[in-house]
Amino acid sequence: MALFPIVGRLVGDFIPHLVAVDTDDTMDTVARKVAVHSVGRRVAAPPGVPSYDVYLGDRRLDPSVKLGELSLLPLQWLDVRIRD
Amino acid sequence: MLLTQDDWYETSRDLDWTFSYVDRAAAFPTEWTGAEGIPEDAWEAWEEPFRVSYRDYVRVQREKESGVKAVSNALQRAGSYDQLPASHVAASQMHMGLITMVEYMAVTMQSRFCRFAPSPKWRNLGVFGLLDETRHTQLSLRFSHALLKHDTRFDWAQKAYHTNQWAVVAAKNLFDDIMLNADCVEACLASNLTLEHGFSNIQFVALASDAMAAGDVNWSNLLSSIQTDEARHAQQGFPTLEVVMAHDPGRAQRIVDVAFWRASRIFQTLTGPAMDYYTPLDKRKMSYKEFMLEWIVDQHERVLEDYGLKRPWYWDDFLYSLDNGQHAMQLGLWFYRPTLFWNTSAGVSRDERAWLNDKYPQWEENWGVLWDEVIRNINAGHIDRTLPETLPALCSVTQLPLGTAMSRDRLAPVSLVRDGRVHHFDSEISKWCFEQEPERYAGHRTVVDRFIGGEIQPMDLPGALAWMGLTPDVMGDDTDGYRWAREYATESKATESKA
Ligand SMILES: [Fe+2]
Ligand SMILES: [Fe+2]
Repeated sequence: MALFPIVGRLVGDFIPHLVAVDTDDTMDTVARKVAVHSVGRRVAAPPGVPSYDVYLGDRRLDPSVKLGELSLLPLQWLDVRIRD
Repeated sequence: MLLTQDDWYETSRDLDWTFSYVDRAAAFPTEWTGAEGIPEDAWEAWEEPFRVSYRDYVRVQREKESGVKAVSNALQRAGSYDQLPASHVAASQMHMGLITMVEYMAVTMQSRFCRFAPSPKWRNLGVFGLLDETRHTQLSLRFSHALLKHDTRFDWAQKAYHTNQWAVVAAKNLFDDIMLNADCVEACLASNLTLEHGFSNIQFVALASDAMAAGDVNWSNLLSSIQTDEARHAQQGFPTLEVVMAHDPGRAQRIVDVAFWRASRIFQTLTGPAMDYYTPLDKRKMSYKEFMLEWIVDQHERVLEDYGLKRPWYWDDFLYSLDNGQHAMQLGLWFYRPTLFWNTSAGVSRDERAWLNDKYPQWEENWGVLWDEVIRNINAGHIDRTLPETLPALCSVTQLPLGTAMSRDRLAPVSLVRDGRVHHFDSEISKWCFEQEPERYAGHRTVVDRFIGGEIQPMDLPGALAWMGLTPDVMGDDTDGYRWAREYATESKATESKA
């Protein structure tokens, strides 16, 4: 369990953010921590409770995988997409 | 009989002599001259682009000074400052904070030319350049000092470069690099030729004309007076380029291409929002893009062609950036307004939006939709959702937020790993700049690097604001108190009730 900085971009927004996540966070949690800086701020929230997918490059990451299992470097760029 | 200037000029500035007790290389190290690989006698071809004697210089400058002073004294007495539009005043505060100390850095650069430039004629002209830049520093400080009683933000003319405010860090990074860190040849090609001859037009001609239109005769007059000097000493770039082209054209191309991109990013941050969003709509003459195309791009292309340089490889991306970067910057500046030392005008009321759509056909699709969400939040009373809770990711070269060079459609990671550290870039162009000289850029730490390195405590936005030196009396807010968003309220309610 450790604080870990990533670069998170909610696809559709215009800038990626520095997002503090935890190595124990699942991709679902990572997605929410990234989305909070964009959805409902500059990107309209989809109707209902939104769900998200996290991408490392073109690869969609399993929602239950933990960040620590990915052995990323600090400030790795992760994309978060609103699932439709 | 008095000699005419032509009789004595040649002799007076030919102050080179043959060293007898010291090596020439010790007196003029190539690390300072930048003349590595260029034969010594090549500099004999360096001809002054203008001729001036000290006596004439002082006479003309004295006239300019008294002109500026007379206007500014008269306007101060008339109390004209109180009548200026708030958004326009914001542009002048941004300019004073971000540019005044750059004038002072230019004094140091010109002083280096006086001592280390590889041609005696160039060393001679450096004296006038350093006097010019001293004048610009003093004028800007004097202007700002006189307005301090109206707004403490003018204090940032002197204070800004002693803080960690992020836009200052980005600007300082560029000017440190091309004015203070560069050897004479590089400083001349990057600063005189590319920045002053090219870009200063946009700050000192376009903004001067917008300032005049907005009724700010005092500032307009100051900018125009500075520009008369810039237009002269910027010409030091031409003979230097000519010599370097004859002996190391690849280096000239690289220096100019890097400087052009880096300068365009800084002006897109500063002048882009000022022209496209801060200048009152009825006073706008040209869009930032139009001005760039007519005054900077055409001129730059002409210089490239005249001296045998190629267009930079990134030309198409640069043109795309002209359609988008300043809009990204504006949305970022407005959203991150507490991190600024000036107030920021949103500039997206319906009328302004129509102007933006007219000037930039992609504006609605690329930027309007993002502003719509901001507007909905303002009208629903959720100001908290129009403010940031973390930092944007930053570029390792420009130090500007990723995503602010192009549009959100084109936003994709551009990065590399060096010595175990991830470097991100705002564009392929910035990455290319980095790759030209990785050791030059790799050690620089962005605000984000400093944040995760624990230099900013507490590690939250208030901690970052305090670290940037932003106090409540200067911290930026919406110039219009959000009133501009009200006209959208009816439509916004309709959308909400549907959802
Ligand atoms: Fe200057
Ligand atoms: Fe200058």
